[in-house]
Amino acid sequence: MNTKRAVVQSPQGSSKHHPPIGKKPKVKNFRATITRIWSYMETDKAMFWIVLAMIFLSSLLSLLGPYFIGVAVDVMTGADFLFSFTNILIILIVVFIMHSVTLALQNYWMIDVSQKTVYAMRKDLFEHVLRLPVIQFQKSQSGDLMSRLTNDIENVSRTLNTAVIQLSTSILTLIGTLAVMLWLSPLLTLMTVAIVPLMYFGMKWITNRTSYYFKEQQKELGEMTGFLEETLSGHSMVKLFHQEHRVIEQYRTRNEQLRKVGYWAQVYSGFIPKLMNSLNNFSFAIIVGLGGWIVLSTSATSITIGIIVTFTTYARQFTRPLNDLANQFNTILSAVAGAERAFEVIDQDEEELDKGKKDIHKVKGDIVFRNVSFSYQEEEAVLTNVSFHAKPGQTVALVGPTGAGKTTIISLLARFFEEVSGEILLDDQSMKTLTNKSIRNHLGMVLQDSYLFETSIRENIRYGNLDATDNEVEEAAKLANAHSFIEQLPNKYDTLLEGNGQGISQGQRQLIAIARAMLANPTILILDEATSSIDTITEIKITDALEKLMNGKTSFVIAHRLNTIEKADIILVLDDGQIIESGNHSSLMKEKGFYANLVSTQKVHQ
Amino acid sequence: MKIIFKYADTYRKSMVIALLLMIVELIVELIQPILMAKIIDDGILSEDMSTIYVYGTILLGLTLIAFTAGIASSFFAAEVSQGVGHDLRRDMFRNVQMFSAMKIQQFATSSLLTRMTNDVTQVQNLLFAFMRIMLRAPLFIIFGIVMSFTLNIPLALILLATIPLLMVAMFWLMIRGMRLFRQVQERIDQVNNVIRENLLAIKLVKAFHRMAFENNRFASVNTTLKDKNKQALWVMEFVMPIVMLIMNLAMIGLLWLGYIQLDTGTAQAGEVVAVINYATRMLASFGVFSFLLMNVSRGRASAKRINDILDQSADDVVNHNQNREKIKGDVRLERVSFHYPKTEYNVLRDISFDVSSGERIGILGETGSGKTTLLNLIPYLFHPSAGTIYIDGRPIKQLGNTVRHDVTLVPQEGFLFSGTIQENIRWGNEHLSFEQVKKVAKDAQLHDFIMTLPNDYHTLIGQRGVNLSGGQKQRLSIARALADDPKILLLDDSTSALDATTEAQVLRAIGNRRCTTFVVSQKISSVLDADQIIVLEKGEIAGIGKHQQLVESNSLYQKIWRSQQKKGVVLDEH
Repeated sequence: MNTKRAVVQSPQGSSKHHPPIGKKPKVKNFRATITRIWSYMETDKAMFWIVLAMIFLSSLLSLLGPYFIGVAVDVMTGADFLFSFTNILIILIVVFIMHSVTLALQNYWMIDVSQKTVYAMRKDLFEHVLRLPVIQFQKSQSGDLMSRLTNDIENVSRTLNTAVIQLSTSILTLIGTLAVMLWLSPLLTLMTVAIVPLMYFGMKWITNRTSYYFKEQQKELGEMTGFLEETLSGHSMVKLFHQEHRVIEQYRTRNEQLRKVGYWAQVYSGFIPKLMNSLNNFSFAIIVGLGGWIVLSTSATSITIGIIVTFTTYARQFTRPLNDLANQFNTILSAVAGAERAFEVIDQDEEELDKGKKDIHKVKGDIVFRNVSFSYQEEEAVLTNVSFHAKPGQTVALVGPTGAGKTTIISLLARFFEEVSGEILLDDQSMKTLTNKSIRNHLGMVLQDSYLFETSIRENIRYGNLDATDNEVEEAAKLANAHSFIEQLPNKYDTLLEGNGQGISQGQRQLIAIARAMLANPTILILDEATSSIDTITEIKITDALEKLMNGKTSFVIAHRLNTIEKADIILVLDDGQIIESGNHSSLMKEKGFYANLVSTQKVHQ
Repeated sequence: MKIIFKYADTYRKSMVIALLLMIVELIVELIQPILMAKIIDDGILSEDMSTIYVYGTILLGLTLIAFTAGIASSFFAAEVSQGVGHDLRRDMFRNVQMFSAMKIQQFATSSLLTRMTNDVTQVQNLLFAFMRIMLRAPLFIIFGIVMSFTLNIPLALILLATIPLLMVAMFWLMIRGMRLFRQVQERIDQVNNVIRENLLAIKLVKAFHRMAFENNRFASVNTTLKDKNKQALWVMEFVMPIVMLIMNLAMIGLLWLGYIQLDTGTAQAGEVVAVINYATRMLASFGVFSFLLMNVSRGRASAKRINDILDQSADDVVNHNQNREKIKGDVRLERVSFHYPKTEYNVLRDISFDVSSGERIGILGETGSGKTTLLNLIPYLFHPSAGTIYIDGRPIKQLGNTVRHDVTLVPQEGFLFSGTIQENIRWGNEHLSFEQVKKVAKDAQLHDFIMTLPNDYHTLIGQRGVNLSGGQKQRLSIARALADDPKILLLDDSTSALDATTEAQVLRAIGNRRCTTFVVSQKISSVLDADQIIVLEKGEIAGIGKHQQLVESNSLYQKIWRSQQKKGVVLDEH
């Protein structure tokens, strides 16, 4: 099946990635990555060997075809051969049929193997990502992670199918062709091979240029994408400030620049197939011309017309794999680089494994922080020596400026992070000894930006408790005061939400998120600024519903609203990662400290 | 696909040259087997050395010509494909900029982005390939057969006979393959979607401990992708062996017939060899079809997506140097209703009110009561579905989008551009002097904060710079709006993250500017001293008047007022 790539190679093959020979895609550890891909294939090892056997067979058969055609031509022109002409034709028929059959089989099985492999890689990667500690998501941008999970794997998927087959076919054909050519005529072989240095230097000349321009093109494209992203998501800002013509002008410059480098990249990469093709034709001319001369001038030669015919085919079969190898080399390198980037994700440490920890089943909700400190890897401490005690059913309000450590405290509770020093006790047991899984089973959360999935509202609420019936879902929605607005939607509970709940308002998104937490019915509740962007009327309803929900549950609230804070059993005033004041509203007011000051300045403006 | 050729028309000359050069190459390749036949028949078999020299040299010369033509065509083809790509990007971007705020909502940002980058690249590649190899394969097959006819008619007939068979195989491949690849693409999108959701919602997934659930969800989309992929690839990879078999069997036919003809003396060896050579080369060129299939199907999908954008009428065209006078800032709404396209539910119903220039209007109301929509109507971002808006007594339609020169809106989540603080403030007005920049920053109560930054006004913000808090973003957005010197300023809850003191200061500074100001807020405290307060309920006006009037007479307003009496606002923004 090597007819395929030969003509195919050029614009795609080389423009997609770095061009052959010159600069290589960055692969840090080629061998290790290959071994790793191999380990994913392992379940189908037997199948893989069969594929290799098929490739061997089909390569052999692809050599036999031209050989027997040459023989047939010789017999036609009167030469003697072992078999009669009819027999040669029969042999050819068998060879051709076998060739097609082995090709079909090798493809069929290889596709199976490679797709299963990619499936396993995707699965592994995805499951691993879910197990990564939350901190990883804050460090590495999610865009980068996304691209590793999608583009890079897709790249592997696209390459793996063909790479194995083409690589082995190319190598086998190359060796086989050379061997047969040498056997038929060392002299003609020498002439055929004469073009290889030409090819090498030609390619080198081209790729020295393309690699530069492709890199430039990539850079320009990247910058343009950034620019587009900004102006498109800021579309209404552009409109409001009537800056359409300015951004169009800015874009024009970038577009022009991209065209320039794109032009040269494409021009030079367009040279490659032409060079290959011409060298092919060149060797064709040499073989026919010089071959003919040899046949005539040296009578005792073993070269026949049939051999010349065979050689013209072989010459193509010989340069093609060389060309293919050069192309494949890059496709493969870039796929390996992709796989490597994906594996890097897998190699990141998983969230503290639950191994060796015990499950906690019944939870009262007693939480103690004892001298808890936290810092992101060797950075400045975000939390220092935080201690407090929340008894079952109590509400703890976290108050303080941005960056004071409120979010860190709830992240520690939710086990997104693990404390660096000190201890967090849940019902008198250190959280470190308990499985994250079982802790989270008792935890409900309404996060700052409530994420909604692209599915129906009903399924979004049910996310809180997968076993909930439709009735229970609606009950929860009623409690969260989401029911009335949901009923007004065209498809009610079956209304499909677009990406991250677009199409409904931010307040409505939060109502759904609250309903979701309601349904989960946890022992410990975490509210992160949950009520900050809901209008007053709805908020009254929510406050009321939350009160019901919080009843009997230990709740942690990052609060902005004074009335929420006032009702809390414990108010923790944080600044710079430390608790500067704690107590309830009245005791803190008496203290006349930071909190009292904060409250009084607020009231002045009411 | 039509769109591609429409755009390629600009570069017609280059395209014709590229195609002509391609045909030159093709001709050389077609002549080669004939020359080879000559060398065999007239040279080797007739033992004539000079024939071999002559034709051998011609063969080499032709190869050189083909090479030159090939290299030259690269320049012209690249000119066309890069030019078309450039033009497509240019026109798409221009068109999108002229979309109304309403229209652009039909497209997700990410989808627009893909269309302007990947899809264009796809089309470029298709075009480049089209001029250089795609057309070449069918032409080679046609000409190859024609040439064979000139050499030996019976042999050529065998070649011709294979064509219908191959056409059927190819046609089937095209139809089936294209559909399958489209389906594969859909499956890839599904997989990516699940991944994206999980990355965004990772905390949620963990907090609710839904790992197993998500893994299952992923496994199911992953499985369908795998199965579809296999199916598509199998179809692709099965057709080629069949095509090869057909061509190879034709080759046997050629050998057999050639043998008989040689025997009876009706053909010469060179002819047979030449025809066989054509057959081999035709077979090789078939490989292009699977490539063609992939690229055409991808290119077609891309072209369609590009066309979707270019086809949309630009419904908010902005002219460069519009003559305009500054507006005063009177706003009157007369029975205005609004519903989103393709929906029937009126988000706003029968809204009427009258505002004189320089007044401050407060707008209060429940989530989803239509506050933001109402604000979007005034700068002509959305257009009412019924009723009329008058600015300075003239229907807004007359003013069109020029109204935006004097009307500015500050959205709740201030959208900032990457760049320095100063560049952001100057975004709406590039010619603002530094003193003026400082002035608006002071008005927005941001100056002191800016001075604490390492490079004060030249500090980079956004991804590569300083991260601003919600309140800082809001204040920067307000400064930017003030820099535009608006006559009507619309604040869409854009002080929500400010503490009460700062908010009051910002509003006071805005008040000194004597522009008509609409303040949407959750807090009555923000609109307490407004000239009029509009209370919205489910898209209708539930009350309108000054604070004192409303407190006395409007039940909804009373409810809100009572609930906020003892409420503090944001405690954590500084």
